Formats: sequence, C-alpha cells, structure tokens
Amino acid sequence: MPGMTITEKIIARNSGRTRVVPGELVWANIHTVMTMDYLGAQTFAKLHELGVREVFDRRRVICVSDHLVPPPNEKFATMLNEWRRIVREHHIEHFYDLGNQGIAHQIMVEKGHVLPGTISIGTDSHANTYGAVGALGNAVGVTDAAVAMATGKCWLRVPESVKFVVRGEWHPYVMAKDLSLHVMGMMHWNGHLIYKAIEYTGEAISKLGMAGRMTLCNMTVDLGAKNGIIAPDAVTRRYLRGRTDAEYAALQSDPDAEYEQVYEIDLGRVGPTVARPHRLDDVVPVEEVEGTPFNKAFVGTCTNGRVEDLEIMARILRGKRIHPDVNMLVVPASQAVYLEAMKKGYLATLVEAGAAIDTPSCAACAGIHTGVAGDGDVILSAGNRNMQGRMGSKKAEIYLTSPAVVAASVLFGKITDPRKL
Amino acid sequence: MKITGKCWVAPGYVMAYDIIVQRFWTSPIDPKENARWVMAGVSEEFNCENGFAGRGYSFIVAGHNFAGGGKSIEHVITGLMGAGIKAVFADSFARLQFRNAINYGLPFVTCKGMVNGCQTGDLLEWDTETGVIQNLTNGRSFQSVPIAPFVIEIAQEGGLVNFIKKRIAEGGIHELR
Repeated sequence: MPGMTITEKIIARNSGRTRVVPGELVWANIHTVMTMDYLGAQTFAKLHELGVREVFDRRRVICVSDHLVPPPNEKFATMLNEWRRIVREHHIEHFYDLGNQGIAHQIMVEKGHVLPGTISIGTDSHANTYGAVGALGNAVGVTDAAVAMATGKCWLRVPESVKFVVRGEWHPYVMAKDLSLHVMGMMHWNGHLIYKAIEYTGEAISKLGMAGRMTLCNMTVDLGAKNGIIAPDAVTRRYLRGRTDAEYAALQSDPDAEYEQVYEIDLGRVGPTVARPHRLDDVVPVEEVEGTPFNKAFVGTCTNGRVEDLEIMARILRGKRIHPDVNMLVVPASQAVYLEAMKKGYLATLVEAGAAIDTPSCAACAGIHTGVAGDGDVILSAGNRNMQGRMGSKKAEIYLTSPAVVAASVLFGKITDPRKL
Repeated sequence: MKITGKCWVAPGYVMAYDIIVQRFWTSPIDPKENARWVMAGVSEEFNCENGFAGRGYSFIVAGHNFAGGGKSIEHVITGLMGAGIKAVFADSFARLQFRNAINYGLPFVTCKGMVNGCQTGDLLEWDTETGVIQNLTNGRSFQSVPIAPFVIEIAQEGGLVNFIKKRIAEGGIHELR
C-alpha cells in the first residue's frame, strides 16, 4: 500500500480513519470556522435555519470584521451593526472588530487559530492561506460554514495531490508572489489544478519565511486548487511559538506518497513576474512589460500585506519620492502588522516617500471598499486578482505583481524591474 | 428518472461573478428573488429583469471551470435554481460552487465535450440513473460522470440544511464520518 500525502493524512486523522484515497467523500472534524462581516450575518442566519442557537464551541468560531470596516457608507455601517449584534448574541470568544481588526486570513494564522495537522474553513475564498502552517485551509459557502458552526463537521472530498519541488536561491527582489504568478503561468488560472491539493516543497521553500509561505498558499485558490500546503518545519514551529499553547501534529507526506503530478521549479528561472490585465495567467517576466505607465499603486490584501512586504518596499523607497503622477495606497493586513511596521519605521519611510496608508481591511481588493478603481485607471497591484471590474470600474486595468516590483515602479510611474535599481 | 428541457450553451468562461453581479452579493438567499437578475453579467441579453429566467431553459451546457473566479456566494446556485435550471453539464466546475450546488441539491454534472455537441435552444433529455444525456434536436448522445450516492442523498432530503437538521433531531451528528 502506498504512503499518504500530508493532505490525505490530515483528512484521515480528522475523520477517524487510518487512510483515505482521492475521490472519497468524508465528514471531517473542523478545528476552527472563520466568518467575516461581509457574509457573517448570512452564516448565522443559516445556523438558525438549522434550528441551532449555540455554536459548537465559542472558542473555535472566529469572527472578523475586514471587508466593510471602517464603513464607507450607510449600507455597510448598518450591515456592521447587525453583524456585531449577532456575534455578541452568540458569545463568540474571538471577535476581531475595528480597533483589533485585520484581514480574516491574516488574523487566523497570526493569532494561532490554525494549527498544523488540523482543518480550518472560512467563508472567504482565500482561506487556502492556512496551509502555510501545515493546516488544511478551505473556503466554503455560508451553508457549509453554518453546518460546521453547528456540528464541528464539514464534508470533504479527498483531493488528488500535486507536488511542486522548488530549488535554488531567492534573489533579494524575487518574492513568493513571483513564484505564485510563475506557477499561475505554468498551470493556468483555474486550469489543470482544479480541485487538487498543491504541496510546495524543496530547499527554496524551507528557506521561505511565514509571510512568503502565506502568499504561496493564498494564491492556490486562484489556481483552482482545493488547498495549498507546506509541511511544518522549524520555521513553522518558531512562528507558532507564542501564538498558541495547543499541541499539534506536525504531519509530513510519506516518501512513497502518491502524487498525480510532480513539477520541479528552479528559482534561477523565476524573476520578478507580472500578470497583465484581465487574466491571472496572462503572466510575463517583468522585462516584457517594463515601461508600462500606470496611475495607481496598491499594496495590501491577504496576499501581500505583511511586515516583510512592507519592509522590502521601505528598503526600495527609503529617501526617495514616488512619481507625482502615481497615487499609492498601502494597507497593512492587520493591526499587529500595522503596529510592527510602524515601530520598525517602515510606515514612516513609505509616508515620507509619498504613499498613503490606510487602516487594515480588505480595502480595494474586491472593489467594495477604500481606493476602488474608476474609469481609465491603470493599477499596479500586489493583490490577488485582476479580472475586469475586480477593483471597481470595468474600464480599469489591473497589473498584478510583487510588492518589490510595485515599490520600484512607483518611483518612475512605469513598470520597473527592481533588480535594475 | 428522465428530465427533458431546453438548454443554454455557454459561449466561454462563465464566472460566478457574472452569474450574480456584485450589487446582489449581499442580497438575502431566495431562489425567486436571486433568479430575477441571475446571469446579468454573462451577456448583455440577460442584463435586464428576468433576462435569463424568462427564457425557459432547464439546462446549462458549459465548458471548463463553470462558475469559477473564486466567489463562494450561494446566490449563484439559488439564482439558477429559481430560474428553472434542473442541471448544469460542464467539462469541469469551480470547487466552491460545486460544493454549494451539492448542498442545495442542484446537480452539477461533469460531462466532457458537450459544448461542441449542443446549441442554445436544443432539447435535451437527461437520464439521471444512467447519466446519459440525449440531444433530441440533433440526435447526439453523451455519457456523464455518475453522481455519487452521498450527493443524491443530500438532494433527496432537500439540501444540506435539511439533511443536517434531520440528523441533529435524531441525535446522529457524531455518526457522520
């Protein structure tokens, strides 16, 4: 009998089985369920529809305000009031509201609500981020979340696994985002990886910090995958220390585990990378779009709003001025990120360079909050999606790239290769 | 059981974002209500009240990654159900909406290559037991991937909410595995 992949082991362990095989449908125990302001009231309404008034565990339902805070209009303000009322009514122990907020996926990892070897689900597509600590993170709809909130369980289909072995050295201005976009170009946006478990491994992944691991796992949802995962190691243990006291199982794939495909990537062939409007897989090396003018820059989101992202931008922009034709918006992924970046001086550097900083939220990423796109905008973004209309106007264009490319480019108002600075 | 009806054939990628456009993402879940503007972003001809629902389609035939784009909103499924859609046949489906479809009891049936063998308005007959889909207009026939028993069980109980409600009432939640 062949061995199992880490994803198969996690599903087996949490569904009372010794082994599972791809294609199997199981009911699994859920470690934590996340819901947020945008869909949370609907999720709790579904819970009530089940005839249930109490969640299965008040410490394991995590509620976050991220899409709507601070409310830009009456509609959102009223939605938030209803959301707060319903969260309090259920005596949820971990409620991250304005003042203590962050993007839900950042909060889930940063506050130790996801653990290696367990399954966490959330009502937002980028819940795949949780794979960064060796957990199975999955996005679900409000019905699935409500069922898990009532029962602590969720049905899952065991996915086939695909492995990416990444070798080589990281150039200082080549980031996990570039690797994510590179893989997007290889495999296509919602292409061959639909419903697969993606496992990132290899020496280059071992050297990657938690911020980069979160970026990589985060964008597996846009490859169409069920989950993205990196097996826990010393980096994971160091990151989790001080964030959780819970014991966890640092599951690893067996050497003889079965993969549907194994791909090898040499980082020597991955440079700064850009996805052109309006497709995530219209991916090119930065050289091919160098010189393309833009008028707005955006760095933030659950993909690239972490301290390490702000650090690399501060390094590039220190003592310099952003081009006068560019409006740059920077939104840290959480209050903790905001505070750390402030204490380390990164935010001061960015403000001195001419960037505007906004309070942690999903901001303009989904086109519903701060900094949305208008007609004719050309946006250079370190977010995760560039479909037409994603950030607002359908008459805007979004180029997606890494924070390093954004920082280098805002100096000139044109897409620039940070390695040439 | 055999279900017969007219189909709409997707010209290209159909994204969840376009099945339910952004201004309805926070609407209450209600099949009738969600159906009024379903598919509004997919094509201009559907971008009016009951633009899609009023055309009497029973099936959608699509290519790769139906309802993709990464939106988890369930209005996509309830909107299609409210518009009278009985099944969607596609080469592949986006994961989030595949789950939602199972949870609401709308069959998302994997069947390769149907887009090349059907045209909008063709009359299809779907045999839910054998998985065979006949195009009665042009005489072609397709074999789909059979639906898992678990999916049929949820559909028969009127969706996941009812399925779970029943098990909570019977005290059988811990037996789910």
